[in-house]
Amino acid sequence: MAGVAFVAHCLLNQNSKTHGGARCPGVYSPLVEEVRARGWRLEQMPCPELAFTGLKRFWAVKEQLDTSGYRRHCRRLAQAVAGAVEVHVRRGDEVIVIGIEGSPSMGVHITSSDPDRCGKPEWPEGSEELSGGEGVFIEELTAELAARGIEAPRATGVCHQLPTHDESDMRVRLATLMGG
Amino acid sequence: MQHPDARGFKVALVQGELLQPTEGRVDALKVLASEDWGAIQLPSADYPDEVAAPLLEQAAEQAEEFHRHGYLLAVVGRRRGLDEALAVYGLERPPSIDPTSEVELREWLCDLIA
Repeated sequence: MAGVAFVAHCLLNQNSKTHGGARCPGVYSPLVEEVRARGWRLEQMPCPELAFTGLKRFWAVKEQLDTSGYRRHCRRLAQAVAGAVEVHVRRGDEVIVIGIEGSPSMGVHITSSDPDRCGKPEWPEGSEELSGGEGVFIEELTAELAARGIEAPRATGVCHQLPTHDESDMRVRLATLMGG
Repeated sequence: MQHPDARGFKVALVQGELLQPTEGRVDALKVLASEDWGAIQLPSADYPDEVAAPLLEQAAEQAEEFHRHGYLLAVVGRRRGLDEALAVYGLERPPSIDPTSEVELREWLCDLIA
């Protein structure tokens, strides 16, 4: 086995997406194909938003989720994931993390941000909300791994939610992350 | 611009080992993908119990949210402690199969929605 890819929940289960966000019925196959083509093991992380704000949640930006209660929830999930990551690291497995770019929770390099968003959930079409940075869960996972003395795994995010998404670019980035 | 939502409203709790393509073992993920099911991975048996338990608890917690909203749930494969984890969230075990072939799994999934 070449390594272990800890992937965002929704990449194997698009049913967990915020309404309007599911790009396919269930499994996001481009990700699975790339991971499998290199013989890597798939490990699915939990969706932090699903069990906190539920299936009927609105689209949200990071500022709306960045509360102490949501961070406690993410920390609980991150502790479970970190436990699994630690098993693999101690075995000498290579570990990577694949999140969701643009997500307020699972963003790796791009999250969503709008300090002014609040109240009745409506905003101008095309309003800017993408910004550099990690989502809340990814921050908590990184912190939990550091507390265990584990270096943050190499990570990227699938961009299928972003307007600039290009599947072939994404496949190249995933391949590069896995080293080939 | 918002895209139309493509979710399938069908979610399988899947034995972790069946998500990895292994010679001689059913590739459940391939079948689930082709039949428009999503997957919630159950912890593989190679994790120690203290690592697997919170992962199993989270899988059950997420299954409960899908159940509450009427999504179709199923269990593919085996996982020790699953029934107890589901019971914590008031769930009985959904329809289950421990498939011996991909054909059997595909037919079973089709029968579930028939």
